[in-house]
Amino acid sequence: MPGKHGEDAEDGVAQLCRRCRENTAVLVVRTDPLCKECFLKYVHTKTIKRLETFRVRNVPSDQQRKLLLPISFGVSSVSLLHILDHHLKTQQTKTRRTGFVIIVLFVDTSTVDGNVPRDHLLHRIQERYPTHAYHSAALEHLFSVASPDITLSNLLPNAAASADLSPAGKLTALMDSLGSATARADVIATLRTRLVVARAKALDCEGIVWGDSTTKLAEKTLAETAKGRGFALPWHVTDGDSAFDVTFNYPLRDVLKKELVTYSTLVEPPLTPLIHNPTSGATQPNMSSKNTTIDDLMKQYFESVEENFPSIVSNVVRTTAKLQIAPEAASRPRCTLCNMPVEEGRFGIHGWGGDQEDGLETLSSGSSTQFCYGCTRSLPSINVAGQ
Amino acid sequence: MPPSPCALCKINRALILRPKDHSKLCKPCFISVFETEIHHTITTNALFHRGEKIAIGASGGKDSTVLASVLKTLNERYDYGLELILLSIDEGIRGYRDDSLETVKRNAEQYEMPLTILGYAELYGWTMDQVVEQVGKKGNCTYCGVFRRQALDRGAARLGVKHVVTGHNADDVAETVLMNLLRGDLPRLSRTTSIITSTPSAVSADPDSHTNIKRSKPLKYAYEKEIVLYAHHKSLDYFSTECIYSPEAFRGSARALIKNLERVRPSAILDVVRSGEDMAKLVPGSDEGCGGTCSTSIPLAEEEEGGCGSSAGRTVGSDMASMEQQLSQNENVSEAGLEVEITSKRVDVMAQRHDRLTDAVPLPPRKKGQKVKGQGAAFTPKKATKQVMGQCKRCGYLSSQDICKACVLLEGLNKSRPKNAIELGYEEQESETPKAETTNMTNGMNKVQLGPG
Ligand SMILES: [Zn+2]
Ligand SMILES: [Zn+2]
Ligand SMILES: [Zn+2]
Ligand SMILES: [Zn+2]
Repeated sequence: MPGKHGEDAEDGVAQLCRRCRENTAVLVVRTDPLCKECFLKYVHTKTIKRLETFRVRNVPSDQQRKLLLPISFGVSSVSLLHILDHHLKTQQTKTRRTGFVIIVLFVDTSTVDGNVPRDHLLHRIQERYPTHAYHSAALEHLFSVASPDITLSNLLPNAAASADLSPAGKLTALMDSLGSATARADVIATLRTRLVVARAKALDCEGIVWGDSTTKLAEKTLAETAKGRGFALPWHVTDGDSAFDVTFNYPLRDVLKKELVTYSTLVEPPLTPLIHNPTSGATQPNMSSKNTTIDDLMKQYFESVEENFPSIVSNVVRTTAKLQIAPEAASRPRCTLCNMPVEEGRFGIHGWGGDQEDGLETLSSGSSTQFCYGCTRSLPSINVAGQ
Repeated sequence: MPPSPCALCKINRALILRPKDHSKLCKPCFISVFETEIHHTITTNALFHRGEKIAIGASGGKDSTVLASVLKTLNERYDYGLELILLSIDEGIRGYRDDSLETVKRNAEQYEMPLTILGYAELYGWTMDQVVEQVGKKGNCTYCGVFRRQALDRGAARLGVKHVVTGHNADDVAETVLMNLLRGDLPRLSRTTSIITSTPSAVSADPDSHTNIKRSKPLKYAYEKEIVLYAHHKSLDYFSTECIYSPEAFRGSARALIKNLERVRPSAILDVVRSGEDMAKLVPGSDEGCGGTCSTSIPLAEEEEGGCGSSAGRTVGSDMASMEQQLSQNENVSEAGLEVEITSKRVDVMAQRHDRLTDAVPLPPRKKGQKVKGQGAAFTPKKATKQVMGQCKRCGYLSSQDICKACVLLEGLNKSRPKNAIELGYEEQESETPKAETTNMTNGMNKVQLGPG
């Protein structure tokens, strides 16, 4: 029984740790009873193994490799920060250098989401891990004049009328124009990624280290598929080159969500005070509720599969990593919202076998606004058609 | 609430909330738009050519009945010039096919299409009842599915027909996409999203040999709910039945997900199908570049497609529990860094193991801006994911193994011992499989039309 605590063992007799064979096991990880020390080591090793390319010896002595770590104050990104902080300290002690430095970024989505962590968590985390640089950016920053993503204004209903709005006003106007909870969650996540990428470039980071666990990557795989974003799936879940000229790295890809939950409580002191617990989470979404999103559905599904079939969850992620994007793909025209490269003729929801309209959406001449299939589904038709 | 007018004709009162996009339509407009969409699917994918003889795989269920009815309508309306016939398979389950075969017989008269019924007994020497007697209730869906898949091709070949159409709908395809993602089966994901597949030519002296049978799914983009609505409003005579055996955990799980997704976003079924088509192009070694419409690269038929029951294929293979066990063993082996002789029959599991082992190889450092596309030069695990399709040495049928599944199963049966399946005490958790329901949807009007065919 994976994840179950050792004390619960039927016979009541404490089991020995499978790894060190000295200490008492406190939990069972994928069939192995482990003691606390060995479990913490297990999570560290699994994570650091994914960062082989960022070893000390791979860095020229006069350079510093920078990685951006977006933090949401969920259990995964906080755990990742803890693991990387520990790793960098160890490197520093051993070699007086580190393979990379991390810059922590918090994307503040409070304008469009009432249930986000507040600044005090950022202060708290900064106190605990003081050696890193910390930044905070509001989601609406994408709509500020200084932002290079000026085309995003085309997303707004009646773009002209919105011109006077503040960036926050523009973001709110966009959200209000979306027809469903799924669409809102989808657009917020898409914008968040764009902001993180823009910040990574502005801060001269070569890559981004995302906090996604195995479980989260499996959720994403099925959620993006369900949202019609299968064409771009590798760009959402695989390590290495992203579609955006910075690398995407998922060091927690071999660690399950439930393992991170346990990890965050076993670390000393526990990470719990640094973690944001949403008041009304998606843990038990009411299926009849209009507020259920596709992301919620997949989250609920994989958190249940993870209980009894952890290897199947890992297998979904390993399998998806084998999908291959054509090398020339990066030079394809981009979607105005998600900025993913789209194959010629595959913009919009029309003009394929599953749709009954023959033609492609004809773009008004001079318009640079075009949306991929997934984004077209999320945006209200008025935005897509009326330019 | 005041009655709203039909969104299309703007005249009639809307009576139907269209499942696909929640538009409000009147009955004639719904019927017309449903038929037009299938016509569109047929023409844009160039499914048929004039003069072609087409066998409709008919089970008497809603999907194949609607398929037969719509194809007859469209063939006349748009003058496709097709010769349509019905082909039914009798698995030999006492009482199970009796009513549905009666339905098919009535359909044959009503649609004026010749009907051929082929029995498992005739094709394999075993009826399903005899199989169940031999192997027990558990796992017999495996036999049913494997036999049925071949049966349609064998039957078609016997009738001199080169093209079989089946009633697989959008829900079935979407379900299969999610199921293959859950099972980590990319080659199958790639094959099953294609609207046309084919069984390669078998070199055989047997005149009945199923050589190069083309298969297609004209209802691939049609929602199951709309198929039911269409059947209802056209008063079609169909037999409503589910497979009497519940689907295995992967399919059951995928089916439940699809139902929930549809509730949250009606377009989601179509969106999954679209994603599946797009992802098929990303599968290493895939030949899906043309989207399955290009005649030079029609994907091979799905080995295990079909199955018993009214519509969707029930796929054989390990369920979640046994796959979990297998994967977890592989992980342990890989963690321990042991090299083990691989003799597993499961190609896909082997492939994953292979990847795990090679994943441990550190990739060379990569500097910013330096593009290393694909998997890099350090290892080449790709070939492991590509299933090589050949032919069964015994019967000539499409198979990734020397001997096809049907022949293996038959060999087991003929030796009078059950298949060596490892049964695990596992109860399905995710599936929300509807219990077998049997409602005879016979309609009075059709009985009146039972004239000479
Ligand atoms: Zn230990
Ligand atoms: Zn997009
Ligand atoms: Zn109408
Ligand atoms: Zn064979």
